Amino acid sequence: MKRLTLKSAVAALALMAAAPTAMAADLVVGLRAGPDSIDPHWSTVGSQVEALRHVFDTLIDVDEKLQLKPGLAASWTAIDDTTWEFKMREGVTFHDGTPFTAEDAKFSIERIPEVTGPMPMTLYTKYVDSVEVVDDYTLHVKTKGMAPSLPNDFTRLFVVPSETGMEARNEEFNSGEKAIGTGPYTFVSWQPKGDLVLKRNDDYWGGATAWENVIRREIPEDASRVAALRSGEVDLINYVPASDYLAMKNDGGIDTFLSDSVYILNIAPSVKDEEPQPITINGEPVDGNPLQDLRVRKALDLAINRQVLVDVVLEGLGTPANQLMPEGFFGYSDELGEREYDIEKAKALLAEAGYPNGFEIDFTCTNNRVPGDSVVCEALAQMWSRLGLTVNAQALNGTVFFPAAAREEYTMTMSAWGTLTGEAAYTYGALTHTKDAEKGFGNFNRSGYSNPEFDRVFGEGAQTLDPEARKKLYEQASFIAMEDRALIPTVILQTVWAADAGKLDMTARVDQETRTYAITPTQ
Amino acid sequence: MPEVTMENTMVVPSAPPEETRAERLRNFWSDYCQSWVAVLALAVIAVLLFVSFGASLVSPQDPYDMAALDWLDAFLRPGTEGSGGYVHILGTDNAGRDMLSAIFYGLRTSLMIGLSAGALALLVGISVGLTAAYFGGRVEGLLMRIVDLQLSMPAILLALVLVAMLGQGISQIILALVVAQYAYFARTTHGAAKVERGKDYIEAARSTPLPTRRVLFRHLLPNVLPPLIVVATVQVASAIALEATLSFLGVGLPLTEPSLGSLISNGFKYIHSDRYWLSIYPGLALMVTVVAINLVGDQVRTVLDPRNSR
Amino acid sequence: MLSFFITRIAQAIVVVFAMSVIVFVGVYAIGNPIDVMIDPGATQEIRQKLIEQYGLDQPLIQQYWTFLSNVAHGDLGTSMVYNISVVDLVFSRFPATLELVLVSVCIATCVGIPAGLWAGYRPNSIGAKLIMALSVLGFSVPTFWIGMLLIMGFAVELGLLPSGGRGDVGSLLGLPTSLATLDGWSHVILPAINLSLFKMGLMIRLTRAGMVEAMGTDYVKFARAQGLPDRQIVFQHILRNISIPIVTVFGLELGSTLAFAVVTESVFNWPGVGKLIIDSILQLDRPVMVSYLIMVVILFVLINLVVDLVYARLDPRVRLKGGA
Repeated sequence: MKRLTLKSAVAALALMAAAPTAMAADLVVGLRAGPDSIDPHWSTVGSQVEALRHVFDTLIDVDEKLQLKPGLAASWTAIDDTTWEFKMREGVTFHDGTPFTAEDAKFSIERIPEVTGPMPMTLYTKYVDSVEVVDDYTLHVKTKGMAPSLPNDFTRLFVVPSETGMEARNEEFNSGEKAIGTGPYTFVSWQPKGDLVLKRNDDYWGGATAWENVIRREIPEDASRVAALRSGEVDLINYVPASDYLAMKNDGGIDTFLSDSVYILNIAPSVKDEEPQPITINGEPVDGNPLQDLRVRKALDLAINRQVLVDVVLEGLGTPANQLMPEGFFGYSDELGEREYDIEKAKALLAEAGYPNGFEIDFTCTNNRVPGDSVVCEALAQMWSRLGLTVNAQALNGTVFFPAAAREEYTMTMSAWGTLTGEAAYTYGALTHTKDAEKGFGNFNRSGYSNPEFDRVFGEGAQTLDPEARKKLYEQASFIAMEDRALIPTVILQTVWAADAGKLDMTARVDQETRTYAITPTQ
Repeated sequence: MPEVTMENTMVVPSAPPEETRAERLRNFWSDYCQSWVAVLALAVIAVLLFVSFGASLVSPQDPYDMAALDWLDAFLRPGTEGSGGYVHILGTDNAGRDMLSAIFYGLRTSLMIGLSAGALALLVGISVGLTAAYFGGRVEGLLMRIVDLQLSMPAILLALVLVAMLGQGISQIILALVVAQYAYFARTTHGAAKVERGKDYIEAARSTPLPTRRVLFRHLLPNVLPPLIVVATVQVASAIALEATLSFLGVGLPLTEPSLGSLISNGFKYIHSDRYWLSIYPGLALMVTVVAINLVGDQVRTVLDPRNSR
Repeated sequence: MLSFFITRIAQAIVVVFAMSVIVFVGVYAIGNPIDVMIDPGATQEIRQKLIEQYGLDQPLIQQYWTFLSNVAHGDLGTSMVYNISVVDLVFSRFPATLELVLVSVCIATCVGIPAGLWAGYRPNSIGAKLIMALSVLGFSVPTFWIGMLLIMGFAVELGLLPSGGRGDVGSLLGLPTSLATLDGWSHVILPAINLSLFKMGLMIRLTRAGMVEAMGTDYVKFARAQGLPDRQIVFQHILRNISIPIVTVFGLELGSTLAFAVVTESVFNWPGVGKLIIDSILQLDRPVMVSYLIMVVILFVLINLVVDLVYARLDPRVRLKGGA
């Protein structure tokens, strides 16, 4: 008897999962990637965070440009060098009716190290020393040393009810039993790589959203996702491939939404004394590492025609980059001019450095990690061949590329970096600071770049609580690293969404998230 | 060479020669020509071999000379004249590469992978099959059990896992294909050799003090070759298709050293944007190649089938 | 019979064990999954802690031993991406693959056998030649290519069928399956056709070969001379005789279809097991790769066993022997 009810429950659930797409208040979204789990403390993967925002809220939220705005915390201030005070929003209830208090926030912060997986959320709590509940709506967070970027870290800190229990298992979240948040939607069902089915939370503190039922369907193949939109199976898709963008823009039946992303394709030339893969001239290894010479790195930079990369190679879906972050981010340097393209000057610099006839070099890129990486890789090889170099370009899958890159086996690489927190500490601290395990800097500095001047300015910034002063120092640090060609930025990737014409309005976000609750139907 | 001197001193009973080699070949050819489709397929293969291995002679452009490419030529439609001053019959791709040239070079990569994988798998398979058939007993039991199990495992799955382990690149793909495919040769060799082994002439050869190797290669092997030729054609075709599939799934060759498979895979990104030529033409080339090889294999099988003998 | 069973099962255990070693070492060789998965912002300290947490700092032998003892306790591992036990993960995806495979095998059989019979019955007719030409196409042209052509034609250009995904799930005889709803069928038909083509080509050729051979036998000639109608000869006598190789291939191919579904599932975004393994390979989800492959080996060993048994039942001349 019990089995029978279970089966009919499953059937009922399944039928709900397949709610017709025709109803105006329903939205079916085709996404390149979905969550890996419904446990909001399991992983930092972008698609996971994006999906779970619908069910859970974070202490601090970010707007379309990654600037901080209140979430479950209504306000926050640093009350001394190592203490942040967070004021909780009042009158918020979880989906099961229990009221939200500071206790829940404390529980969530403490739960993370217990349950997080191989893509660890401890990243966001690494500065947390201890958490103290002052009253129902006030939380004090003691930090290990000065932690000016703590509010940025908390933008991905999801809050679950303290009744959840430390031992709550992943299965209990996936089944929906523990999938209880304060978010704009309630959880209905989810299958790994399948549909995430959501129902509107009519009591949402931010106001009920427009769509009653939302299905977030995972369609990883670009062509399949485009086909699904064109055949009417879904209403909206993310990550429209560059190849389809123009056709869709000119298609009256489809609306497109475009935004810069946080992702920039950067070239990392190894400046170690001995380059990992030998650089050769006529098959003979060159003495020393030519890439150590700033003139060579400048020549590589000057030979890149960024406008062509954007207009032709990425078919318009990009912006030329002159530093590792898009404009407007915290620490973006206005001093840096636009990167010029001057092949003659590049040739002269190369000759001056002692390589008038170029050299042969290996160049390794990611393949399909972000849209356009392999084609940009090929185009760069093409551009450098104009400079007289012989470039052996190779675009490899992440499973091959990342472990080998971590072992620092490549002489020159290109991969994408996204400034997900919207500020410079995250990016420059990991990429261009001298490797320093103790301070936690330079974790992704695989080129061996080390500049004491940069380290000093950046380090000073990391110890400054005053936002304005910190910003200045970061701008200065960005300038030093970029003038040094520690990394050579090429293009900022852009992201495109596409929807059935006249169906909906949305603001394209720089972090590429598709927040269903921020989308409104067209009147 | 001791083998040469032995040729005259040792008289080994051989399989009764019914016809001379030349006659056999002539008969084979006339049988083969009974199907005009098969002859046409053979002609197609000849053309494909020519354009692929002579790619540097026949293609209008060297698609891998980065300096020869011009990004202003990107995405030209088929039949458009580019900056090189010649007409791109099949259009150009996102790097301004002439598709016809890219297909010729891609075909070369595909054929090279297919042929080397086929040849290596043939060698390994023959060794395993002959060893098993010749020694019998436990060796045979063990080897053939492994082969049987591998045969029941689909090649695509095996190759997929192997490529994942070995990494991307031509030699890795070839290795994966060999491991995935040798079993077919081993089984065929073993089967045919078993039949031959029971025959008097092998027994006679075994009773003489000839080295094992000699009996295996000079007497057993020639008689198991015909069925192997059939298997080889089929396997070369499927190796080419397999490689294309792996590249399509994103674990095969990187776009920077494309085969037909990676060309198609790249082209599929553009299939909705009305740039059909990027995927349709390499796809057609792949299809024609694989079908032609299979047709030839088919006809060879029919001709060699003893039940069809006149 | 019993000794046959025991020997086979012993062999199977040895094979599975050997495969587990090979797979484990191979997957180990690919690289450290943490480096593929870890977030760029992570510190060395966090990374080191994770590597220890997952036991990746231990020597290979130690890791393998841990794996084996977990398997002995019935624990095939937990996905590093989904944090779900691998067995649950695979079985949650299995129904989708199974229904796809079943439909495609049915299509292959229902089209392949009659077509093959006809091609063998009138081997020189135009129809037979056409059927044979199509069968060559069926198993030579790569699955992914046909799949995309099907999507282009039926989903995008004509807009008749959905381009991918699984349809509504209903209940059929108490089992949740998308085959119980019309929407489910509209989703399954294209991928099933795509997956069936290879098998159909094979089926046609097998049936035709058997048919041609049977038509030439004395007893068919005799039966025809007696004036029995062809229909009766074909369906009552020949079909039974040629069913043995067909059943064998059917069984073996069922397994390979499950695996070939990898390609079709990728093209049509079908949420089955094949898709799962591709994703695991691309994400380097070690436990899923290892355990899935071992489960596949077990499956194939089982299929081989069943085929042997069925074969023996259909053809009494085959004696069940213990050895290889």
